[in-house]
Amino acid sequence: MIRLERVCYRYEGSGAAVEDLSFEINRGEFAALLGENGAGKSTVAKLIDGLVKPASGTVTVAGLDTRKTKTSELAKRVGFLFQNPDRQICKNTVREELAFGLELRGLDRAAIDERVERTLRDFGFDGERGPFTLSRGERQRLALASIIAAEPEIMILDEPTTGLDYRECMRVMEAVKGLNENGATVLMICHDMEVVLDFARRALVLSKGRLIADGAARRIFRSACAMEKASLSPPQITQLSLRLGAGFEEADTVGELAEAIVKRRRAV
Amino acid sequence: MISVKDLTFVYEGARKAALSGVSMEIRQGGFVGVIGPSGAGKTTLLSCMNGIIPHHFKGDYYGSVKICGKDTFDCSLTELSLVAGTVFQDVDGMLINATVEDEVLYGLENFGLPKAEIAARLEEVLEEVGIAGLRRRSISTLSGGQKQKVAIAAVLALRPQILLLDEPTGELDPASSRLVFSLLKRLNRERGITVVAVEQKIMLLSEFASELAVMSEGRLEFFGPVREVLRHSEELEKIGVNCPRVVALSRELEKRGLTAGTLCVSVDEAEAEVRRVLEG
Repeated sequence: MIRLERVCYRYEGSGAAVEDLSFEINRGEFAALLGENGAGKSTVAKLIDGLVKPASGTVTVAGLDTRKTKTSELAKRVGFLFQNPDRQICKNTVREELAFGLELRGLDRAAIDERVERTLRDFGFDGERGPFTLSRGERQRLALASIIAAEPEIMILDEPTTGLDYRECMRVMEAVKGLNENGATVLMICHDMEVVLDFARRALVLSKGRLIADGAARRIFRSACAMEKASLSPPQITQLSLRLGAGFEEADTVGELAEAIVKRRRAV
Repeated sequence: MISVKDLTFVYEGARKAALSGVSMEIRQGGFVGVIGPSGAGKTTLLSCMNGIIPHHFKGDYYGSVKICGKDTFDCSLTELSLVAGTVFQDVDGMLINATVEDEVLYGLENFGLPKAEIAARLEEVLEEVGIAGLRRRSISTLSGGQKQKVAIAAVLALRPQILLLDEPTGELDPASSRLVFSLLKRLNRERGITVVAVEQKIMLLSEFASELAVMSEGRLEFFGPVREVLRHSEELEKIGVNCPRVVALSRELEKRGLTAGTLCVSVDEAEAEVRRVLEG
């Protein structure tokens, strides 16, 4: 669904943001892109939705070479949630905001109205509210809702939970999870390892623009080398089970660790 | 140090109070983490402590806030800014100079300090915050964590007794977030600076803060030592505040009859507790 082959990209006047990067994400995957600030994560997101084009190498999205495809064409296939929702909200009411992306895609009025009503219902929004009277978390959900209304095949999320409180974070992530369960491919940039553990199945770790680890999220968390290189700490329960050693290799959640403890006590 | 009594504030034109009957005493040398869902009144509380409310934002104001014994209502913002320095949520909006050095100098020059004193404080604060190497760097080339440090340095240069911070790690990665909180902890421990930080990352607060203030819908729901507050993890979750996973683990082990309810707030504590359980 998404394929990067030996991709390089550098911003004018600075070093390489992305260096010889190759990976592939298949249809229906839920992957997280991890790394420090400045590791190149947002650049990868922009390369995928065509906002920047590779200096060398190829980025293929849903079979389309991003260098040969208009960004507007890619936008029909790829939904992009910016870190700051205020960068994408541009209408005066929630209803207009939800309809905007669908109008750009050229849907007919009846289809637009039907999808807008459904999204309003699913997210519990008041369609007549002004977007900027909503809290930051609600605006983030609105930005996400407008993308979901367009039913993209691929969803790129750049730190979707930044600035949100816990409850808002869970509501946003549940919506993303629903989209993924309906078949969308999700790539999420995220600094919160607990969120990654709870929602992503695969993790790709970037450091200085290069891919240093790629695999099941739980396995990556247990790779001390990759985590240290990217200055990341595993989620708390994984840290704990790593310290406890043999018998706790599969325990990454509270329930799993409690079970492993009970099992070990029985064995003794 | 900071004394808040029956504080209620309604922003001009708003129907609902942003703060309702908040009372708290923050001791000198305290490190208080303020947490709560969006719209709980966290930033409003901070704005009442630094005097932005009532001096800048108007509204109905009841109760009192005293900083070092002085009512903020009777002090000017200038006076208050020398005692309580604020690092705002939007650090990019706060840094207005071209270079790190200019940013730190800005406040000092505005307060008209003697030249020699300015030079001495500049050296001291750059060293203290660990950004001496960035002195001549253009602010636009700094990382998020570095910018946050510059904002803290600029405020520290005025030698405040209190540091107020609104989500200082909002856009930082985990390593930079820890760097900022380690710096705050050091200033708190070594210099006795009282720290009040609004923060959503509960794991940072449980590691670095000494007290937690939990707000919800304008009210102060819990205020006390971190461990005491985290004991109310189920109520906190209902409010919309999550707890560190090791706290949930403590609860789970107690529920299964494996412990007598020891609350672990860090991975170190949890490891010791689990080993005790395993040894039976």
